[in-house]
Amino acid sequence: MTPKTMIRAIVAAGGLLLAPALATPALAQFPDKPVEMTVLFGGTANSIAQVLATELGNALGKPVVPVSRPGGGGAVGYSYVADTRPDGYNIVWNSNSINTAYHTGKIPFDYQKFTPIAMVSTEVPALAVKSGRGWKSLDELKAAAMKMDGKLKVGISGKGSFTQLVSAALFDAMGIGDKISYISYGNGKAPVELMAGRIDAAVQWPGQYKSYVDSGQLDVLAVTGKKRVALLPDAKTATEQGYDVDITMWRGLAAPKGTPPEVVKALQDAAKTAVESPAFLKAAKNLGFDITYEDSAAFGQDIAKDDAFYAKLLGQLELKKQ
Amino acid sequence: MDHFLTALQMALTPYAIGAVGLGTIIGLIFGSIPGLTFTVALALALPVTFGMDAVPAIALLLGTYIGGMTGGSVSAILLGIPGTPSAAATVLDGYPMTKQGRASIALGTAVIVSTVGGLFSLVVMIVSVNLVSKIAIDFGPAEIFALVLFGMSTICGLSSGSLMKGLIAGVLGLLIMTVGIDKIDGDNRMTFGSVNLLQGVNLLVAMIGLFAVPFIIDTFVQHRHGGLEAPATGSLKANLPSFGLMWRNSWLMARCAAIGTGIGAIPGTGGAIAAFLAYSHARRFSKTPERFGRGAIEGVIAPETANNAVTGGTLIPLLSLGVPGDPATAIVLAGLMIHGITPGPALFMTSETTVYAIYIAVVVAYIFILVFQLLGIRLFVYVLRIPQQLLAVIILVLCVIGAYTVRNSAFDVYSMGVIGVLAWGLIRAGIPITPVILGMVLGPTLEGEYRTAMQLSGGHLDIFYKSPVALLFLGLSALVVLMQATTALRERASKRLESKNA
Repeated sequence: MTPKTMIRAIVAAGGLLLAPALATPALAQFPDKPVEMTVLFGGTANSIAQVLATELGNALGKPVVPVSRPGGGGAVGYSYVADTRPDGYNIVWNSNSINTAYHTGKIPFDYQKFTPIAMVSTEVPALAVKSGRGWKSLDELKAAAMKMDGKLKVGISGKGSFTQLVSAALFDAMGIGDKISYISYGNGKAPVELMAGRIDAAVQWPGQYKSYVDSGQLDVLAVTGKKRVALLPDAKTATEQGYDVDITMWRGLAAPKGTPPEVVKALQDAAKTAVESPAFLKAAKNLGFDITYEDSAAFGQDIAKDDAFYAKLLGQLELKKQ
Repeated sequence: MDHFLTALQMALTPYAIGAVGLGTIIGLIFGSIPGLTFTVALALALPVTFGMDAVPAIALLLGTYIGGMTGGSVSAILLGIPGTPSAAATVLDGYPMTKQGRASIALGTAVIVSTVGGLFSLVVMIVSVNLVSKIAIDFGPAEIFALVLFGMSTICGLSSGSLMKGLIAGVLGLLIMTVGIDKIDGDNRMTFGSVNLLQGVNLLVAMIGLFAVPFIIDTFVQHRHGGLEAPATGSLKANLPSFGLMWRNSWLMARCAAIGTGIGAIPGTGGAIAAFLAYSHARRFSKTPERFGRGAIEGVIAPETANNAVTGGTLIPLLSLGVPGDPATAIVLAGLMIHGITPGPALFMTSETTVYAIYIAVVVAYIFILVFQLLGIRLFVYVLRIPQQLLAVIILVLCVIGAYTVRNSAFDVYSMGVIGVLAWGLIRAGIPITPVILGMVLGPTLEGEYRTAMQLSGGHLDIFYKSPVALLFLGLSALVVLMQATTALRERASKRLESKNA
């Protein structure tokens, strides 16, 4: 026994002895104090989280406090929440990053360390090129890439990032996976790099392209979800163009494994009320994400399905570490 | 014109003006208190704006941003602890001025030149947003790398005495920023299997450690030995800088405002690099460069004009391209988006009125800053009356809170402590601290842009010398280093001569 585990054992033993004294006769109704919601990323993830937290608080009758714990591709926040007591007072605003963070070796545990509460939103990546390049569809882009001497330069957020996984899946489906050279950009600079002609195509979020599409400077060739996105109604899906790709970024809520079912149920119902509120609908429209509510059970199945999918995809990209 | 009048009506409602005023005060407070930073203030203010109309909401955020940028100079001047990374250059001459009893002059100058810089950049932004955003688009990875390298070359001017020690400090700063997940390849670097190290060392946390902790340690040590100067008990006069002083430096202010606006317009650079470049520019073109670092007023004017000129500059890529220049403007961007204002080329067609309202809000914010801070100087200087050991305790508490709130992580509090003790050791060894922060601010951009450029060129270095802009900045960097080296050699030769003659 290392000193640390010994201390833990002593504390646990002490806790057991004290437990009967502390336990209240009937469990108080959840929640009887504020709930802390860990937010893993800045940007859109954080903006949605702020609105959601307010609405969740209204539904629960106790405030929900969004606390930003960024870093490590979600590793910092996931590790924090996974170690908290499973009583529903610590929840995490999670996403596909739980799957990718595990498989790329950022965290030593996977999605099974959490109990799903509800899926809340989805965002669909989009592939854009500069207008006037003569590429109006995936087929035209493919034809151009095949004819090119060098490789097609595609902007992504970073190696192993969600945007790269989407790009890889899309270009593999198009059969030009080996004609692509990936260029990493941070800070949402992809539209600028496209405009300047330093890269040929980029996979990013519709919100980033919206203004450029309106002004006629960029063309969105495809979105990678099942359905078109409301923000860019003219952009066809990859499936419509004959390429079988369906990847979206989901976001939702999860609690540490072992959270009591009635607490999960209370949080799930609050999430349902929250996503139907006018303020959340307005945020969805402005920020360019889709509201996709799924209850705990359905959400859990989707996470498990995604996990297998990303394990395979990361394996193909040689980014899988565990 | 109709748009402008509508914008005036929107931006000058009591509610909107109140929002700007509130934001400015929040920004000033967070910016001026060591440990607390205005990026945190913005993050706290963001949810408050959700329930507001678009114009007051954005006015609140912009007020916080601008107030914070200006407030950073207060603790930099009074305590030698910059409130924001952008104010790090102000410490160099602002703090010596306080030690000479000229704190109020330095503070007054900082406020006035900040306002001038900010308004200058706003005017530039309004008249040339289309042109400048086109130029900004041409700044690709190779060009930004060269520009940032030029920024690094200012280390030469910061390391009074030994260039070698300055370089050691700069490289330390660069090294610290490599900890964590590498942004290009996603590899874990120098994390030793620790999840907490994956997030890397936060710039704000490191800044608190670098400047505040040595101050605290020194104060405690001196207090124990009874060597502390008694706090100023006499009447602290709040002298303001004279009009003549401002007038004499108007040309310097204009040049530094131009530097700040230009740097701000290029995404991924930000206030700190502008402030350092302006400082080194002022020193290089001064007739008496030896006064710098010893309380030269120009050493306050240059960085303070430039870092506030950045505020107008960053609005250019933010509004016209939708690209935030730094973490603070990223939060402003989130505020715009959530109110249905999508920055980008279409913004000027679809929401012209809102754009004008934003301009007006910026002007109002600067009026507030001028009023609040000029009135506040009388209060600020009272800080100097607090016995130093008590002040150190207060700062210690604030720094712990500040380091924790940046990412809500207790780990950051420990990192602050470790970095602080190391910084204290560096100071004892005669190694300057400012180049460390410069290395930390510029390191991630320098590395990221270099590697992105390499990805673009397929690994060929020709991407750097085929671009005239990149070549220009690389040449300037080389020139600065060369000049510094020859000056150092000449000084050494003349010293040797003196010692021989003596």
